[in-house]
Amino acid sequence: MSKRVFHHPPEAQSGRKYWRSLGQLEKTPEFNRWLEKEFPQGAAEFQGGEVSRRNFLQLMGASMALAGLSFASCRRQLNLVPFTKGVEWSIPGKALFYATSMPARRGAEPLVVATYDGRPTKIEGNPTHPATAGASSIWAQSAILDLYDPDRSRDFLNKGQKSDSLKFTKALDEILASGGDGSGIAFLVERNHSPTRERLRALAEKKFPKLSWCVYEPTGGISDEVSRVAFGDGILVTPQLDKADVIMAVDCDFLSNSGGNLDQIRQFSSRRKVSATDSKMNRLYVVENRYTVTGGMADHRLRVPASQAGAFLAALANAIGAATKNSELADLAKAWSANTPFADGDKKYVENWVSVSASDLLASKGKSVVLVGDRQPAAVQLLGHAINSALGNLGKTLIGRRTIEKPALTIEQLAAAIDAKSVKALFILGGNPVYNAPADLKWAEKQATVPHVVRLGYHEDETSKSEQGTPRVEWHVPMAHFLEAWSDGVANDGSYTSVQPMILPLFDGWSELDLLSIVAGGQKPAGAELVQETFGERTGGAGDFTAAWAKFLHDGFIADSAPAPEALSYKGSEAAAYAAKAGPVPAAAAGTFEVVFAADSKVDDGRFANNGWLQELPDPITKLTWDNAALISPATAESLGIAEYDLHMRVKRITIKAGEATLTVPALISPGAADNSITLPLGYGRTVVGRVGRGTANLGTGFNAYLLRTSQNPYFVTGATVTPADGMYEMGVTQEHASMEGRGADFTREATLTQYNIVAKEPEGTPTSAYFQKMGMDAHNPKNVSLYSHPPLNSPTSIDPHAWGMTVDLNSCTGCSACMIACQAENNIPIVGKEQVIDNREMHWIRVDRYYASENNDLKDPELISQPLMCQHCENAPCETVCPVNATVHSEDGLNVMAYNRCIGTRYCANNCPFKVRRFNFFDYNQRDVLGHKKGHPFTGLYKWNLTSDKGMPDTLKMQKNPNVTVRMRGVMEKCTFCVQRIQEAKITAKAHSRDTDAIPRVPANAFTTACAQVCPTDAITFGDINNPESNVSKIKADARGYRLLEYLNVSTRVWYLARIRNPNPQMPDAGKLGAFIHPAGETNEAATPTGGHS
Amino acid sequence: MSQVLDDPASEVTLETPVDLRRIPLVANKRDLHWITEHVSRICEGPAPFWWWVCFLITSIVACIGLFCIGYQISNGVGTWGENHPAGWAWDITNFVFWIGIGHAGTLISAILFLCRQKWRTSINRAAEAMTLFAVVCAAIFPGIHVGRVWYAWFLAPVPNANGIWPNFRSPLLWDVFAVSTYFTVSVLFWYTGLVPDLGTLRDRAKSRAAKYLYGIFALGWRGSNRHWRHYELAYLILAGISTPLVLSVHSVVSFDFAASILPGWHTTIFPPYFVAGAIFGGFAMVLTILLPARYLVYPQLRDLVTVDHVDKMAKIILLTGSIVGYAYMMELFVAYYSGNKFECFTFFHARFNTDHSGWYQWAYWWMMFCNVVSPQIFWFKWARRNLIVVFIVCMFVNVGMWFERFVIIVTSLAQDFLPSSWGHYFPSWVEVWTFVGTFGIFLSLFLLFMRFLPMVAMSEVKIVTPEADPHAHGSGVGIDAHHPVEAASDSYKQSH
Repeated sequence: MSKRVFHHPPEAQSGRKYWRSLGQLEKTPEFNRWLEKEFPQGAAEFQGGEVSRRNFLQLMGASMALAGLSFASCRRQLNLVPFTKGVEWSIPGKALFYATSMPARRGAEPLVVATYDGRPTKIEGNPTHPATAGASSIWAQSAILDLYDPDRSRDFLNKGQKSDSLKFTKALDEILASGGDGSGIAFLVERNHSPTRERLRALAEKKFPKLSWCVYEPTGGISDEVSRVAFGDGILVTPQLDKADVIMAVDCDFLSNSGGNLDQIRQFSSRRKVSATDSKMNRLYVVENRYTVTGGMADHRLRVPASQAGAFLAALANAIGAATKNSELADLAKAWSANTPFADGDKKYVENWVSVSASDLLASKGKSVVLVGDRQPAAVQLLGHAINSALGNLGKTLIGRRTIEKPALTIEQLAAAIDAKSVKALFILGGNPVYNAPADLKWAEKQATVPHVVRLGYHEDETSKSEQGTPRVEWHVPMAHFLEAWSDGVANDGSYTSVQPMILPLFDGWSELDLLSIVAGGQKPAGAELVQETFGERTGGAGDFTAAWAKFLHDGFIADSAPAPEALSYKGSEAAAYAAKAGPVPAAAAGTFEVVFAADSKVDDGRFANNGWLQELPDPITKLTWDNAALISPATAESLGIAEYDLHMRVKRITIKAGEATLTVPALISPGAADNSITLPLGYGRTVVGRVGRGTANLGTGFNAYLLRTSQNPYFVTGATVTPADGMYEMGVTQEHASMEGRGADFTREATLTQYNIVAKEPEGTPTSAYFQKMGMDAHNPKNVSLYSHPPLNSPTSIDPHAWGMTVDLNSCTGCSACMIACQAENNIPIVGKEQVIDNREMHWIRVDRYYASENNDLKDPELISQPLMCQHCENAPCETVCPVNATVHSEDGLNVMAYNRCIGTRYCANNCPFKVRRFNFFDYNQRDVLGHKKGHPFTGLYKWNLTSDKGMPDTLKMQKNPNVTVRMRGVMEKCTFCVQRIQEAKITAKAHSRDTDAIPRVPANAFTTACAQVCPTDAITFGDINNPESNVSKIKADARGYRLLEYLNVSTRVWYLARIRNPNPQMPDAGKLGAFIHPAGETNEAATPTGGHS
Repeated sequence: MSQVLDDPASEVTLETPVDLRRIPLVANKRDLHWITEHVSRICEGPAPFWWWVCFLITSIVACIGLFCIGYQISNGVGTWGENHPAGWAWDITNFVFWIGIGHAGTLISAILFLCRQKWRTSINRAAEAMTLFAVVCAAIFPGIHVGRVWYAWFLAPVPNANGIWPNFRSPLLWDVFAVSTYFTVSVLFWYTGLVPDLGTLRDRAKSRAAKYLYGIFALGWRGSNRHWRHYELAYLILAGISTPLVLSVHSVVSFDFAASILPGWHTTIFPPYFVAGAIFGGFAMVLTILLPARYLVYPQLRDLVTVDHVDKMAKIILLTGSIVGYAYMMELFVAYYSGNKFECFTFFHARFNTDHSGWYQWAYWWMMFCNVVSPQIFWFKWARRNLIVVFIVCMFVNVGMWFERFVIIVTSLAQDFLPSSWGHYFPSWVEVWTFVGTFGIFLSLFLLFMRFLPMVAMSEVKIVTPEADPHAHGSGVGIDAHHPVEAASDSYKQSH
């Protein structure tokens, strides 16, 4: 049994035959018309109301039928089986797993979805996909909540009036009938890498040859355009980070979640897994304007404003050009010679930094890579390509791939077409241009001038209606979630993936493909047929189509379907001409600031603003929830006089003026940020959004940074002015204290690679071999002695052969926090709202602690380390002895378990927990209105008198809950269980296999894992049976880097941390100050570092 | 008491020198009848106007407190300010504070009784009543602070259908047993002592209802020799049972902290230090109540609760306050001497604040001033005998002892091992008013007690008067000139 088992219908044969006959049937128009009539009937009950129990059951039945692989796609009466009849392969209470993939900006993310009784409940990465191997992103994890979002758009709306799909189809036909050659028809879509969409686009263009097709991604960057210049049309460049020994990332946050880039993160982390047998490790140089997760993983990091990344690269290009005698580089760099990017005091330091890192890159020619952020101007990115070309990295650490996407208009070009009154019908599929188009386009006004606007939207958002509720579109069509619709995609590694529905559209939504197929001349509903056609074209139709299709759906992707890499040749002269035309980014004038617009790590460009899990997820760096803030360096805060904050986490506000626009935002001090560079995450301050996105009544969620963003300066703007504004702003920051207070050696141990190599080679038993175990308090403590030997736990004759344990590799963990969302989805963890977060009452069972450290209180440029912390399952658990009612006890397989039914909520266990990982339900967060509290009104929201307050959760949200995990009520303590429901399932399976034995059979090594370990994009978390020498966890924990927290307390935790290893270049000017967390002798020398504006 | 010099040659019986004579426990040579009259009359006359005013105020405050409790129970502990690092705050602070106050009464009644400290007789009744009411207030907090109040019965050693017993390893469970035992024994002890006085009140009662009620509770007391013999034996036994409880209950309360592993809690010095602190705080509260009662509203009590009583109690406050101060120093020393960085942080940074990192150091310094510095004035006799000074110091001690528990609980929790989980705690209005409300409950109960039961143990006071001692002729004569007792107020003299 590998990972979680895919249960598939055992009798695929009959389904296959069935399918074929219907496949013939479907082509008849009568059949389609019949479907047309049939479907809205069933779904009609959903319109305008919650899902009732009755139609929920129908729905489950329907999706059961859908779920069958061979039946998949068959939305026919024949297959709508009431759930009461049962389906042969369905075992009530057992999950069925289906492969699919999530469309994303950078490429589809291959997934496996668990469904219980026909409702999807949990999304995992597809373990068989080679590029992601079971990992997934926070957005894939949280997509399940989006599916059940009660604020989803439910109705077809004609000018704001409720309508239905038949009327819409009729209206659509009329619009298309008058389309002529299509010169008046325009499409505005998001990027999603679906070959079927491309195919339908081509069909639509055949019908309407002059149709305009515009793809807009507000935070997508311009790397495609740049690689077109540098390498030719249709070529996308992808780094192969597993082949790179030295990586230089310039304003490139390649480790953050940017939608479908997990393969890159995995490639990078595969080179950070040092062990005694393979202690080679890559080296990462990062140049950035603020701390990102990539900067947090850096071995050397340089603070440089985003507008000066080009100047930095020019300096690097000069150094490399001189060494490689490459004149192209010098020519490109020349344009930047007027820039004096670095403050005088830092100049020498930076020059030194550049020259030493350049020699490091040169020393690994062909095994290095320079990554330039796709947000940087073309001229800067071209510098990066030129350097890679000079270093001989093309085709080795950087490969080219031909994209399936044909060129499209930019949103500026589309806006110009609208201005020219040439657009008569505008189809906005997804996206939210009124909110996120460049401010200078004044998109809302433009959109209003188009005669027919059809919007396919997941929510009724800014683009569909104004804040006052006035409709902004002629037709609003509810959009189907990707778990409700057929589609396909291409993953970032080029492989072809499937997207299949798990459930009927909850609110009768249409997918993009549904609408496009009508435009292309087909009929709605179209579904699987459209994808099959694309599939057929791609696979060439050889062999048994049905078997191939079934395998495609079963696997979720076609193995080895990625096209062979394209040969990359850098077109130096074209690039130089292009760069010369674009010119360098001018240096910022003194006294002005640059404002950097960053995609938010959680709500992205704002599309996930109504997802409570994401809103409440702390940002990996700032630990801020429910808000965005202007991130400014401590020195800048000091100079603006806004460095104050108070114990309520209230921070000062600033007014930023960029061009004509101004914006007043709270300012959060961000250690390690470049001075005079202000980072503003996008995606907040939504005005027409569901309840979650609106946030706690009268508090809102963040500020709309798009207001400052123009089409000239989409990613950063220089020359902004900043003035302090009145008033303080309360921030929901989950980690108020960011300094280790000299405790680095106790909690976040680290060493350099050289030190590790010495330690790892030492034979066991010598003092040096215990280097990582004997740091901090543990360096001085005598051996622990127990009066009490835990007979049930430690006896070799224990009934239970397992001992569950976990390892967390601090050298791989980027702090991305996907584990937190995975845990929230798996374990039915509620959100608590911003006010409760401010009160330190967030419920996450696993948290990711982020610490800054430096010597001499250096706030300017500290180091960063992230440490995931979950219940440590202490063998001598301090929580267990103090619970007066025996609600938290130890199991024989070594779990510290919670009996919610027994818990009375004294909170004594939480007080006595040295790791503070226990979470208390201060209110009935699942049943009460967590967003309804009005500041200054004592009896509102959660504080409303319980007896008069509305209770309960929306029916759709109930459908998301994991049926194997209790939904906790108020007044009980909860905490990480090591996903005990998965452990029990595995044990039951093992028991069922062993049949006639009374003993508990041993679960095979690595047969299953916890939600956090499963999701982890870098495999930093490993879970398993430490009694089983075959298990990964017992092998990993044996590494020299393994240590446990607070060993001196003799709590004997079951979680081993693997020390962080830094790989500094000894020649670098900052090499000496690295590893400030601990001194080589194991003593602390870290100064108390107040951070995040808080100390 | 006189002393006979055994000198056959002189055969002269000398009077004890004036300086060495015992100061009479009842001033102004009040006789037995006077005591009965003046103590019983408090319960018998119509309730004075001030009583109604006070009772109205305290009962309104108590009702606000009860509303807050109801609101908290109905909505959840979230209505308080507690959060993730600080799982306990005002709730347990208030619990330990009230339990501490509840110590003085039983100590006065039981330990001083066994030590034959006869001066205890005039204050023990009120002090014991105060103990009971303080324990009632204390018991509210562990009851309501749990997340699911309706399951608090899981603490009882009753295995439910699944055969689950409470966890006998948990100090919180020991607390339940210790406090409930203490309360039960204190009630029995107090009630036993009340029986002879209830007999007196029954005999004096004019209304049928009073006669009936006092009669029931007097348990047929007739003052026979046999009754007295049984009574005194029962009283002695209960005193013997109560004495270890005085020491055990606060030791057990301190185990809540001492048995944990949290720096700032995990301290072996806690049991004696908590007991001393409890006596310290308890005596301060006895004086806080008795001084106004004796000075403002019942001047007749001045002859029973004399300045000498106040002086003695002030000495106990000085002694226990110094023990507490020593414990504070010891905590700091042990933290330093252990070399444990977490301990050192809690004591020197979070509390003592040698740098910027302490958030609650103001509470620590309040505690230090109130508990260690302010009682030092009692080294001076004038201060011990100046009722205003005594009252002010007692108020400081009351505040200081509350802060001591706040410091122990909140500063230790707010900044423990992992800096990432550090957090701040701020009380909510519900929490503040619940605490204020317990003062309303406490004072309301005390006012009812003053109104319906004899505040001074008449029978016991009578036993320590010279008249009760067949061998007491002559003692006490002429003392008044040297130790003038406080004069009753003019208005009182006129009316009596």
